[in-house]
Amino acid sequence: MSSPTESNNFFNEFLDDYFAECEEHLAVVRRELLALESCMNQPQIEGSILNELFRSFHSIKGLSAMVGVREAEKLAHQMESYLRSLRDGQISLKPEGFDALMSGTQILERAIGAYRTKEDPPDIDEIISQLEACNPPVVAKTPTAAITPFEVKLKPEEKKRLEALVSEGKQIWHFVFTPSTELSKQGIGVNAIREQLQAIGELIYVSPRLNANQKILFDFILATQEAENHDLGSELKYLTGEPYQIPSPVSEANSGSSNLKVEPPREPEAPATAEAPGEVEAIGTVVNRTESERKESEERTETAPAPAEVLETSEAETSNNISPAKSTSPLISGSNLVRVDLPKLDELMRMVGELVITRARLEENLKNLPPSFPAARRRTLQEINLTLERQLRDLRQGVMQVRLVPIAEIFARMQFVVRDLMRLTGKQVALEISGAETEIDKFVVERMMDPLLHLVRNAVSHGIELTEERLKAGKSAMGAIALRASTAGEMVIIEIEDDGQGVDIYRVLKRAKQQGLLSDSVSETNDPDNYDSQTILDLLCSSGFSTKEEADLASGRGVGMAIVKNTVQELGGCVKFTTKKGKGSHFIIDLPLTLAITDALIVEVSGQTFAIPESSIQEVLSVEHKGIIRLEDQEIISYRGHVFPLRYLARLFNCVVTTDESEKLTIVVIGNSVNSTGLVVNRILGLREIVVRPLTDPFLQSPGIAGATELGDGRVVLILDVSTLISSKIPKIIKPQQFINSG
Amino acid sequence: MRRILVVDDSATMRKMVMASLRDVKDVAFSEAGNGLEAIEQLEIAPFDLMILDLNMPDMHGLEVLRFVLNHPQYRETPIVILTTKGDDESRTEAIAAGAACYLTKPFHPKSLSGEIVNLLSEPCWSNVH
Repeated sequence: MSSPTESNNFFNEFLDDYFAECEEHLAVVRRELLALESCMNQPQIEGSILNELFRSFHSIKGLSAMVGVREAEKLAHQMESYLRSLRDGQISLKPEGFDALMSGTQILERAIGAYRTKEDPPDIDEIISQLEACNPPVVAKTPTAAITPFEVKLKPEEKKRLEALVSEGKQIWHFVFTPSTELSKQGIGVNAIREQLQAIGELIYVSPRLNANQKILFDFILATQEAENHDLGSELKYLTGEPYQIPSPVSEANSGSSNLKVEPPREPEAPATAEAPGEVEAIGTVVNRTESERKESEERTETAPAPAEVLETSEAETSNNISPAKSTSPLISGSNLVRVDLPKLDELMRMVGELVITRARLEENLKNLPPSFPAARRRTLQEINLTLERQLRDLRQGVMQVRLVPIAEIFARMQFVVRDLMRLTGKQVALEISGAETEIDKFVVERMMDPLLHLVRNAVSHGIELTEERLKAGKSAMGAIALRASTAGEMVIIEIEDDGQGVDIYRVLKRAKQQGLLSDSVSETNDPDNYDSQTILDLLCSSGFSTKEEADLASGRGVGMAIVKNTVQELGGCVKFTTKKGKGSHFIIDLPLTLAITDALIVEVSGQTFAIPESSIQEVLSVEHKGIIRLEDQEIISYRGHVFPLRYLARLFNCVVTTDESEKLTIVVIGNSVNSTGLVVNRILGLREIVVRPLTDPFLQSPGIAGATELGDGRVVLILDVSTLISSKIPKIIKPQQFINSG
Repeated sequence: MRRILVVDDSATMRKMVMASLRDVKDVAFSEAGNGLEAIEQLEIAPFDLMILDLNMPDMHGLEVLRFVLNHPQYRETPIVILTTKGDDESRTEAIAAGAACYLTKPFHPKSLSGEIVNLLSEPCWSNVH
């Protein structure tokens, strides 16, 4: 190690890789730490959790040392040693130790982040001494003897696990995989096989072995659900597999005895045993025989039709849920992950967008073909155009899929936030996460980080009450916050629900008036029932609004909710909200899966054309003029038992209103079931796939306009921002200039 | 052309190792991200030298080492242990098991390439049993 700086420079070209890999390891750490927390009070911690943690810190340590991030290296080393002691059973997990791991992880993340942004590294001395305190030096014990790779020899813990699984009624299998160059060319390697096996059961033991011909084999011992037995054959056609019996103490004592009957824990329904019972018996005892006998049977395994193959053919006839493609295609190696820069994907999406517009132009031109054009050829062209549209849609879907990442990334961070706040506020909160596997656009995930952080903070600091208050109110001491995600069509729904005290509507209204957000004319109507929850939400989301007299550390200075609302709107989504005093609050955020391309209704108003995203449209109505009710200065209509206000798009944009009293009105109903508004338009031109181009120039941005798009004929059309258009009923209670400012 | 198998569960680390060796003449690389994959390479992509990490998800590097040196075709193959520093006991164990040399991370690119060039240039490398 002559000069560390020189070698650090040498490895600078790998910094991006370094950050990306650390990010992956930290994600694993966060996930496993949460799993670890749940075993805190259990006598035994699952070894795999500690192993995963240990390995992630170990990797971070090694990588950090290479690129010269000293703080990260030191800290990761300290956490690694603590985990080693835990793993080796030298010490047991205590709450202090767990806290040290949690805060250590956060500091580690900061240390790596600081290196990236070239800031000063965080101080790690305190956390290091915390970790050291949890991990007193113990006499190092001799490392566990390495297993000899020539026999299926289970370690005591593996044997124990196996026995436990057998007693649960699991089916135990012994698979042998023989790698070869041919298989490898088809992408079938030991990694792929292992992943396949892990997907269908619990892998207890894997080890390489040399057979008599000096050929490399891999042994896998796998536990599966009984019900899954009949699938094994088709999934694992490159393997030979047979039921496995744990060597009993007797057979271990005299390992030469081969008269052990192979009786799977329960008789499997798989035809393998029925069709080739002799074979299974012979192979199944493999593990209990002497070395020479074993090699003999090995040969048989390789030449004789393996039970697994028998399984496959008989299954293929009887079951049609195995598609031919699945059984013929080689196993795909799951480790073929590719890291792609987000800008590259953006560029790809942009190109798809261009294609969509080009196709729209093609369609436009097809429509304008002269009548003299032969009908047969016209039809052919139209068919091609339709095929192109479908294929483009598939392409778009494909590109979109690539951009999707599980929301777990940010959900896992919320656990950390809640824990921190619990310590800060002394409240007891359990955060329950569901739907973390829900996938959402990478860009959206990153943008949603702050809003979610804010909502969760709010839920803890404003929502959940102090323990004694909760007990007084007859609630359980432990507050509950649920964080949920789910997909509904082209939308992703994120919910944050707490069982706290709910929003005090009186106080919100009072503060709103003090801050001039509510006009005095409504000062008499202080009855909360007069305000729907959406109005309250709008108030909460007004910039600068805060019910706290003073800002506290946990929840900001009243800009948070405004950030929530603005971000969600920018992403083309909407926030819904319900609250019940004493019972809690519930925020629901609807977000579009993707931003770039969407379906939209093209409408015409006073000669101008606008696009309304289809996702926000409930329905389109055609209403007689006499169906309109005038109420004060509002026009409303009653439809399907609901009453909702009408807004003339022409008036909103100061266009000349051209309505003919004799004609029916065309109304586009937008918003959600609670909050509908009818937009009056002149004509519906059609449903188109549009490419959303955001208006980023602040001089061009205007409330009610989300962006622009280009139609097939080259015209530029403005896309309406539906959520702002709905909230523009607010002028009733909010001063007009306030609306303009906050819009 | 000599083939070097780089075994490390960190893709970034493998890249760093290969970058450090890019000036070594007439070598080609293959990679493995875990112990089993490394052993599979014995069968499907024979190599002349192995650079091996110790801490890996499935098998310990020492198990891989023992397996490789037990294989008749690879008894003489030099294996370079490249592991994160700190475990002195595994150094003696690795050397005893037949490792050609034991290097630690962080490593200097030049010192790694120097060791590798030396090992590859030895016409008949003998095992230190």
